[in-house]
Amino acid sequence: MNQETANGTEPSAAASDPSPVTEPGVEAELSRYLPILAKMSEQLKQTSAQIEDSVVEVCNSFQGMAERARATVSKATGFLGEGDGTPGKKSFEELVENTGATLVKIMNTTAESGEISRRAVESMQQIDNAAQQISAALSLLEELAKQNKMLALNARIEAAHAGSQGAGFEVVAIEVASQTQRSREVTGKVGGLVEDLRNLANATLIDLRRINERDAERVEASQKEANESLRDLRTAHQEMKAMLTGITADGALLAKDIGSAVRGMQFQDRVSQRIGHVVDELETLHARLVARFGSVHINLAADEGFRAYTMREEREAAGVHEAESPGGDVELF
Amino acid sequence: MWNCSEQAVVGSSREGFEVRKVLIVDDSVSMRQMVGFTLKEGGFEVLEAEHGQDALDKLQGTSVDLVITDLNMPVMDGITLITNLRKQPAMKNKPILMLTTEGLASKKEEGKAAGATGWIVKPFDPEKLLLTVAKVLP
Repeated sequence: MNQETANGTEPSAAASDPSPVTEPGVEAELSRYLPILAKMSEQLKQTSAQIEDSVVEVCNSFQGMAERARATVSKATGFLGEGDGTPGKKSFEELVENTGATLVKIMNTTAESGEISRRAVESMQQIDNAAQQISAALSLLEELAKQNKMLALNARIEAAHAGSQGAGFEVVAIEVASQTQRSREVTGKVGGLVEDLRNLANATLIDLRRINERDAERVEASQKEANESLRDLRTAHQEMKAMLTGITADGALLAKDIGSAVRGMQFQDRVSQRIGHVVDELETLHARLVARFGSVHINLAADEGFRAYTMREEREAAGVHEAESPGGDVELF
Repeated sequence: MWNCSEQAVVGSSREGFEVRKVLIVDDSVSMRQMVGFTLKEGGFEVLEAEHGQDALDKLQGTSVDLVITDLNMPVMDGITLITNLRKQPAMKNKPILMLTTEGLASKKEEGKAAGATGWIVKPFDPEKLLLTVAKVLP
């Protein structure tokens, strides 16, 4: 680049034929800066490239931030509202609704069981009532049997008084007495069975009442727990939705901030252009001075200005070479 | 991600929509990066070229919906690129935006005469860039 302008063209005729410099002191001073100009151009180019690298790196980071923010919002939205797209996977909202529906079904089923149990108690009470009525009917039959027995006895007495003429009547009276006896035996047997039935019905009734009371308590407790769980789930869902709204709002703010940063970082493009123009002018000036004075060699390492350079890149651009440790090293003295 | 009020996702990267392709032509890596980042966030697919000739070469095997080009570039500048693109049937009616630090009216006229659809002066605002892109895309 030393002999060319930034456009890669040869120095113009004017450049190769500059205005005559009459003062020898001025010439010497100008020639002193000749090698420095090329080094300065190189340094400016390096600086411009470094700024661009940094901006690209920052921009990459922004892209990563934006992508992660978008992914987070998308995931949270999917989790709460629409699922994450996995076939068969439900969103949190669906889970809340489904859990609520399942709990309601369980409560209804438990309540139905309680109702069946209550109806069974009623049925057992009806059975007991019926058994009581049967017992009453059996008592009546027993009374009738007693009366029949007395009637048969009287009939036999009357038959005996009638003598041989009452013999047939006595046979009938004996038969009536016999039937009455058999009837009393059957009535007694049925009475025993009814008593057993009533005892069984009473025992079952006690068990059913216990079950019924326990079911009622359980249903009440389950309903309370289910309602609390549903309320907690819905609260959690609302909180998560509010959080998601916050995250989305933060994402929008982040986008705005990144937009401002992207706009701000474009200073680099303008700075690079300006540096490029300065470099062009420096190289043109350098070409003109070389054309006027020819090559001048001075010891840049000894130059006070270049000695002040502290960075490796600065020293390299200036052509000052000294042994030094690479960047990142730590040295303890 | 940008709060683009007129069209939330102008490049339409959502399911069921064809993704629009944009060619960014700029000799500055960082500018390509920043414009590309903005457009990708807007849902566009992005191609990059370093200068006019690079853009012409890259358009040989593919078509784009929009070209955004810088003005001053080595090898081939933006005006020459537009002049060349307008000669191609595939690019005759496609929008081409200039994105440059140059704001002179005379340069803008030159760009318009060459066939530029619009002129954006750097530094650009990401949101405005997306709105402009949404306006010029059919």
